[in-house]
This record gives sequence, structure tokens and C-alpha cells, in this order.
Amino acid sequence: MNRVLNLAAFNIRVLLGDPTWFILSWALFALQLAIYGSLISRLVGSNLPNYFFFYSIGLMIIVVFESAEDVGRHFVEHAHEGELPYFLSLPVSRSGFLVAQAIYGVVNTLVKVAPPLLAVLFIWGNLTVSGALFALAALFLLGLGITGTMVSLSFIAFKAVDIYMAVLAGLSALLIRFSTVFYPLAIMPNYYSPVSVLSPLTYGADLTRWVLGFDPKYLLNPVLAAVVVTAIAVSTLSLSARIVDKIIEGVKAA
Amino acid sequence: MFAVETLSLSKRYGKTDALRELNFTVDEGEIMVILGPNGSGKTTLLMILCTILKPTSGTAKVMGIDVVEEGTKVREVMGIAFQEARGFWRHKPSSILRFHASMFDIDSMKRQDLIEQTMKDLELWESRDKKFMHLSGGQAKRLETAKVLVQRPKLAIFDEPTSQVDLRGKRKIWDKIRELRDQGSTVIVATNEVREAEYLADRVTILHQGHLVVRDSIPKLKDAIAGGDVVEVGFEGPVTDNLVAELKGLGGALALSPEGNELRAKVSRAEDWVPKMTSASYNLGAKISSIKITEPSLDDVFIHFTGKALIDQQ
Repeated sequence: MNRVLNLAAFNIRVLLGDPTWFILSWALFALQLAIYGSLISRLVGSNLPNYFFFYSIGLMIIVVFESAEDVGRHFVEHAHEGELPYFLSLPVSRSGFLVAQAIYGVVNTLVKVAPPLLAVLFIWGNLTVSGALFALAALFLLGLGITGTMVSLSFIAFKAVDIYMAVLAGLSALLIRFSTVFYPLAIMPNYYSPVSVLSPLTYGADLTRWVLGFDPKYLLNPVLAAVVVTAIAVSTLSLSARIVDKIIEGVKAA
Repeated sequence: MFAVETLSLSKRYGKTDALRELNFTVDEGEIMVILGPNGSGKTTLLMILCTILKPTSGTAKVMGIDVVEEGTKVREVMGIAFQEARGFWRHKPSSILRFHASMFDIDSMKRQDLIEQTMKDLELWESRDKKFMHLSGGQAKRLETAKVLVQRPKLAIFDEPTSQVDLRGKRKIWDKIRELRDQGSTVIVATNEVREAEYLADRVTILHQGHLVVRDSIPKLKDAIAGGDVVEVGFEGPVTDNLVAELKGLGGALALSPEGNELRAKVSRAEDWVPKMTSASYNLGAKISSIKITEPSLDDVFIHFTGKALIDQQ
């Protein structure tokens, strides 16, 4: 375990060594919320009370999603910059290697999402230690699930990076649009909501909102959401562990 | 027990066979040089041994441990310096070595001294605060070697350790690799440089198109070439037919080419033939002014066993 933590720390040091990306991410969040969030919440008006808060949590889900995407991309970069063969030659099991990647992803996600979350809760007067911790836990679980999905998909990049990038772009567009990230299931058209139920982001977003005290009549059952988010995290991480162990090879040399 | 043992090891990439039914062993404590042109399967073999690639069929064991079944255990006893030193753009050499040493549980009290000494030995100390991306190709290669030297694994693997390294640096790396062997490590070096192989090898394995062609010590491989040694003898007077006939009768000489005061002989073992030749010449009153013995190079050995020159295969 010590070696796994050591490996994670090596990558995290690089991540934290350059705070530019975090500052940009926070600034983008603030801009998006201040301009688009305030405008759209006026348009939505009384159809959904407190939509601005609903929207700000949705925006956090997107930060979590993009941050988890980063982990997959980071994994692929390891391969293309020649670091992967080195990491695979270290005395860490393949699942340990994956755990190190996941820890990197969690730190990346938490650093990006925690300050905006605390700021939003503070502005809305909802800032409590337990609320913030539970919300972070829900976001963390969702992040793990998406990380597992992204690492599982990264083996595509070992065949063709272009296809991998296209799959990521397509997947993120679908998962975000067909979900409750920006609009609750309760007000979605009938032909649209069944598709949104398939997106893991729906469960992560609704669980986080429930934890933060949003009106439950607009949300999925929180127990169901928690079970689905946990199941997705466990299953995709198991799948990615299997893929890293069985499929991914460090280099191809003849 | 062999340090490394493969049985019918094969690796296929699509329709290309990189390794074909390879049976290969390395004894503990020796430097085994794997010699072969690009594409002969050297790197593939090394990547399988260090568990990065999986074999298509066959088995491979390192220190008796199966590379597929117990990969993590294999990685604990081996270290590899890769052919291409890439990655870690934003790290400094010293932090890369510190991380590597920590991953292999090198005593933290000794770690810093060991890293400093190794960096000084490989002339990297002056570059310790440069980022990896600012190192020259040769410095990056030396850093790759330094990782294994700091680690001192039971099985040390070097894939073309001195490509991109200047002549002085090559000699330093070779000496450090020998030192590693003397300290008890088993060493595998893959190279296509004949001089590197001659300097380092206790034994040589020649790979060609994924096949093991031959494996032995360099003197034995050279001796295996019929007419391998060339002896050029200078006489104070012309070489007579009588002398040539006498020398033919000695045996061991496959071809004798007299020309004026000189005689060129292709012999299987110069160390056996030369004493007999000098004695016969003395008896016939032919005074020798010079003797020059030329050994075949490993390139000649490669040509002998594969029918192709190593250099032409690059």
C-alpha cells in the first residue's frame, strides 16, 4: 500500500505543482455561474423554485465529470509520453496502479470542486460541515464511477487516440445533455426522461442535491441514487482493474 | 536455477511474429548480451521479462518466478533501463531517482548518498536541478541507467544502454554495468553494437527475426567459425613452396596465401596454430619478422550464423 501511495503522491506533486489549471477551473465556474447561471435562472422563473442553486450543483457535476475525464486522459498521456511502460515495470500490482490513478483523480476532483462547493453553500447560507462533507462524498463517489469508465475506455486510445477522443467527446455530450444536470426529471418531456434515467450523472446530481437539501419532489429517490452511484463506482473500477490487468500492455516493440 | 528461463516463448503483433518459440536461459551472476538488429525481437523479449508485455504463448520465469502468474513479484527483483528514456518532463533527475529508489524500498538513510554517488559516476550531478525536458538525449539515457544502478536489482536489464551516449560516457556506463555484475546482479544487455557486446558479454545470444540463432561465450562463438582467425606472418625472405607444404601439413590451417615475404593464413584457432607454425618455420630456417593475428568480429559471427551482416540489418 505504501508503494501505491508513493506512486499517487509522485503524480499529485506534479498536479499541485502548477496551480494554473485549478485557478482557471474555479474562474470558469464563477463566470459560468455569474453570467449564464443568473440569466437562465431568471428565464426558468417560477417553474422550478431556486433554479440558480439547482444549476450551480449541476455545474459542479460537470466539473466532477471533466475532472474524471482528465484521469483517463492522464492515463493515455502516460502511455504516449512513454511513462506507462516505466510505471508498469514498478513493483506495484496492476490494481494498485489503478488505485494510484484513482487517488490522483480524487485529489484532482476535490481540489477543483471543493472551493466552488463551499463558496456556493456559503452564498446560499447552506454551509454546514455535515452538508459539505456529504455533498463531497456524493461527488467523490460519482467521480470514482466516471474515473472507472474513463480508464476502461482508455484502452481504445492504445489502438487509436483519435477514436478515443471522439468517443470521449460524444460520451460527455450525451451523458451531460441526457441527464438531470441542468433540468430535473419532473419537468422533462416524457420522451426525454427515460433516456436521462440511463445517465450516471442523473443519480450523482440528484443525490448531491438531496444531500444539500433541495426540494425532494424534483429529485430521484435518494436511496436509489446512492445505490446506483455506488454500484457504478464499484463496477466500473472493477472493470477498469480487469482491463488494466488483462488488456493494456505498456509498449509494442518488434 | 536459472536467473531467466523461457520455454517456447512467442509473441505476435497482429500478423507479425516478434518472437518465435524462444528457448532462452541466463545464468545467475553473468552478463548476457542479446545481440541482434532492430526488429530481431530483443526489446519484445525484455518487455516480456519485465512483465510489461504478455507473451502470446510459452512461459518465462525470472529467478524462478513466472512473469505472467506473479508479475508483481517479478518486478520486485528486476530493474530495467528502457531503450527510450521518455516522460517525466517536469521532474528533475534527482527527484526521479529519489522516487525510483523509494519504490524499491532503498534504505532512506542511504538513499541520498547512493543517488548522489551514482549521478556523479554518470556525470549527471551537474544537471541535477535541470528538468527532464531540458536534458540532452545522452543525459536522459544516463539517467535511465542510473535508475537501475541505484536500485541494484537481482536482475538488471539494459536495452541499448549507450545509444545516444558519447564515447567517454559509453565506457563509464559499461564499467558500471560490470560493477553491478560483480556485486552479484545478473545482467541482460540488449544491443546492436558489436563493440558494446564485446566489452560486456560473459555470453552472447544472437537473435534474428524472433529466433534464437546461437548462444555462447564470445571466444567459443568465434572459434565456432571455421577459419575464424586470420594470421599474417612476415618473413625475412620469400615464402618458399617447401615452407607452405610444411605448414599445410601442420593441420588447423584452412587456407594459406603466400605473397612475396608474407603469408596469410586462415586458421580455426590462432593460439594453437601459431606456435606450431613458428616451430616449423624455425626448423626450415625461415626467419619470422612479424606476426599479426586478427580475430573475427561479432559481426563476422553474426554473418556466419545468419548469413547476413549485423550492420546491414539496421
